[in-house]
Amino acid sequence: MGSLSENARKWWRSHKQKTQQQTAPSHTPLQKQLADNEQRLRDLYANCSDVVFRSFRIGGTIRALAIYIDGLTNQEELERSVLSVLMQTKLPKDSPLTKLLDNLVPVTKSREMSTVEQCLEAIANGNPVLLIDQQERAIAFGLARWEKRQIEEPVAEGVVRGPREGFTESLHVNTALLRRQIKTPALKMEQMQIGGYTQTQVVLAYIEGIVDEDLVAEVRARLGRIEIDGVLESGYIEELIEDHPASPFPQILTTERPDVTCGNLLEGRIAILVDGTPFVLIAPTTLFSLLQSSEDYYQRSLASTTIRWLRYLFTAISFLLPSLYVALITFHHEMVPTSLLISMAASREAVPFPALVEALLMEITFEALREAGVRLPKQVGAAVSIVGALVIGQAAVQAGLVSAPMVIVVAITGIASFMIPHYIAGIAIRLLRFPMMFLAGSLGLLGIMLGIIVTVIHLSTIRSLGVPYLTPVGPIKVAEWKDTLVRAPWWMMNTRPHLTGDYQKIRQGANQKPGPKKGGDPA
Amino acid sequence: MRGVVLVLLVSCALLGGCWDRTEVNDLAIITAAAVDKAGKDEIDLSIQVFIPKEVGGGGLGVPTGSSTRELTTVLSGKGINIADAMSKVQAKLSRKVFWGHCKIYLFGEEIAREGIADHIDFLVRHPEPRNRAYLYISKGKAVETLGIESVLERSTAEALREYASLHIGMPVTLIDFRNMLKSEAQAVAIPYIQEGNKLKDKEQIQKNTPLLGTAIFKKDKLAGVLTSKATRGLLWLRNEITRASISVDLPEGQGLVSVVPIRATTKLIPRIANGKWSILVKIDTEGDIVENATKLNMMEPSSIALVQKSVNDEIKSRIRLALFHLQKEFDADAGNFAAAFHRKYPQEWEQAKPMWDALYPQIDVNIQVQAAVRRPGLISRPAGSTDEHGKAEK
Repeated sequence: MGSLSENARKWWRSHKQKTQQQTAPSHTPLQKQLADNEQRLRDLYANCSDVVFRSFRIGGTIRALAIYIDGLTNQEELERSVLSVLMQTKLPKDSPLTKLLDNLVPVTKSREMSTVEQCLEAIANGNPVLLIDQQERAIAFGLARWEKRQIEEPVAEGVVRGPREGFTESLHVNTALLRRQIKTPALKMEQMQIGGYTQTQVVLAYIEGIVDEDLVAEVRARLGRIEIDGVLESGYIEELIEDHPASPFPQILTTERPDVTCGNLLEGRIAILVDGTPFVLIAPTTLFSLLQSSEDYYQRSLASTTIRWLRYLFTAISFLLPSLYVALITFHHEMVPTSLLISMAASREAVPFPALVEALLMEITFEALREAGVRLPKQVGAAVSIVGALVIGQAAVQAGLVSAPMVIVVAITGIASFMIPHYIAGIAIRLLRFPMMFLAGSLGLLGIMLGIIVTVIHLSTIRSLGVPYLTPVGPIKVAEWKDTLVRAPWWMMNTRPHLTGDYQKIRQGANQKPGPKKGGDPA
Repeated sequence: MRGVVLVLLVSCALLGGCWDRTEVNDLAIITAAAVDKAGKDEIDLSIQVFIPKEVGGGGLGVPTGSSTRELTTVLSGKGINIADAMSKVQAKLSRKVFWGHCKIYLFGEEIAREGIADHIDFLVRHPEPRNRAYLYISKGKAVETLGIESVLERSTAEALREYASLHIGMPVTLIDFRNMLKSEAQAVAIPYIQEGNKLKDKEQIQKNTPLLGTAIFKKDKLAGVLTSKATRGLLWLRNEITRASISVDLPEGQGLVSVVPIRATTKLIPRIANGKWSILVKIDTEGDIVENATKLNMMEPSSIALVQKSVNDEIKSRIRLALFHLQKEFDADAGNFAAAFHRKYPQEWEQAKPMWDALYPQIDVNIQVQAAVRRPGLISRPAGSTDEHGKAEK
């Protein structure tokens, strides 16, 4: 194993060198002669048909070169505000060009650059770069614009009440969505680039003063440790920074919703936004936050509390029901009410398989149908659900392959697993269901107890960025039960949850419960 | 490496399982069992086994709902005891016998006279039979009851179980039986049911009630049977009455009034004075009028007082009837006076214990009933009365 990782490291090192050779050694200064710079960049962008080199003369005299990538730049704006302005201007030959250009070109975002790498980055991000003869500096204009998806309602996290906007693939749209909700300058967004080839922009967002500085430093360090060729989705980052890579439970929350992200930022967590994906990472997270929906905070407290408990109940059902059924029907016949046992016995009469095999068969079929339903194009999806309903529901029973109660068990389990608001947490529970079924099929209720014990032990050992996963039940923190066992009304949520440090524990004014004596219009 | 070892260890643990794995379709589910005397030193064990394929829930889409098919079958085997007979019965079955859902145990009258404690031992020692299964003593042969078809329920077992939970008679479970047998009184009461032969067809079912009364055991041997009416008295005495309807004749109103007690408590207060043992049965009950065939208006406190007095007398007479049988005929302390004396007079009890059988019939029993009629029902005047004209239909 040691040699393997050594090899990997060697490969990475040589690979990194190669990449760097391909692009450029760091900090190559720009040359005075435009031709030199042009040659250099043309070499780097050899065979890149999407890169546009546009030569022209400023005021008809000074040679200049604009470089941009087709499709990433606002071409009309470039023509109107840069090229036409510069072409028609008259400039003395040796004036400090860059200063003057600032006065001439009506573009808000422009940046001076002195190295080839800076130019490359600017070009890659869609900002056109202007190189001028006899100047060792270049200018990048903030004219990036490319086609992006509209802000839409998040698909995976629907709500009845609550904001309907979701993150998009564009990082700056996403940061803007956050900033629109949290206006304080204390909302910090540290930007960094991860990925040798993709150079993906990653933003670490947190609210200064609420967040634990050590937590931010830790996340910063973990992000800085990443050496990877590309980051195409936040899942890459998640797997590279989580605490327990072998655990089936997600230790980082992912969300598509700006309101969820803001809520978590306000509770002192950090968010990691990755360019190119609408999924934002939130850490540290706990098991209970995976079982909460953003809507819990918008609905009335009583309703939310009830729904939360319903969710907890169905999480348990999703985890245990098939194994309980298998255990009861193979070992503990005396625990089933007589008439139920008689019905079950009658329906199992023609079934050729043991209950465990029957359960596995049905559960695997169900998982397959679910997966097929997710992957298939929408038009075919309906066909799958019809076939699924017929195959699982009726034909299998009629053919005597499975018993009717098993279909009911699988159906309830399926519904239960969809009650978990975060899809990824649902998958963790689904995964664990299978070993539980084996335990139930071989050891009965004893096996189920063993399975539960092992699961609880595991849950209480793992941490998410230093926060125990079962907080506030694992380490008991009574003050936080107001937002886990119940969803207390907002006028009772006076303190923030305690994560790793105590920063601004009090989150709102005390004694805010509305009432007739609290002023307002006496009439 | 560690992971591999761990996986191997865990799989070893799983290998240990499965040995007692039984699928439901490999079980013969016993719903009821009957024990009869077969010959000298031999018993006849009959079990009522449920036939799953007859229920037809197999998902064939069409319910096989024809009620003509029998859902259960009865199998018998002879042996020197239950365990022995059981193995004979098992030999007749293709599936493993499963006692876990047997909720009814029937004993024939004959075997009950010889004592059933030995057979009960199997039922409480074996891990499968339920301690909370109900016991019944059957007139004649117990096996006959298993064969009859229940009108409402799926099987006679189910019918008898529902019967027990109705509390018309005195429901006695295995564990109750053991407790009664172990108690100071050493007398047992078990509901006594009609011979199966007399409940075979619809006509007979209409004529005969299944529950005949209560079989009274002295130790584990049947001493005699209390009638249904006397059973009521016993239930009052044992503080177990939950469902009863007391009808009393009111001469003042020229008719009957029926009262249903909704709450009843019985206290046994023992007393030893001058070497004379006596006991005071104190009953406190509350009830509603459910039928009034008299001319009396039950909104009148005076009428209510009349009813209460008659109810008191009626309850007393029922208890007297039960006590007469228990004390004078069977000499079996099914009301468990012994425990009451033991609690209050432990020393005297220790001395009297060996001759309790002789002492019990001599005990003087005083009965005090405090019946309170709380509600006259939904109407006040008798339904048939036309009060304005001062006439009442009779």
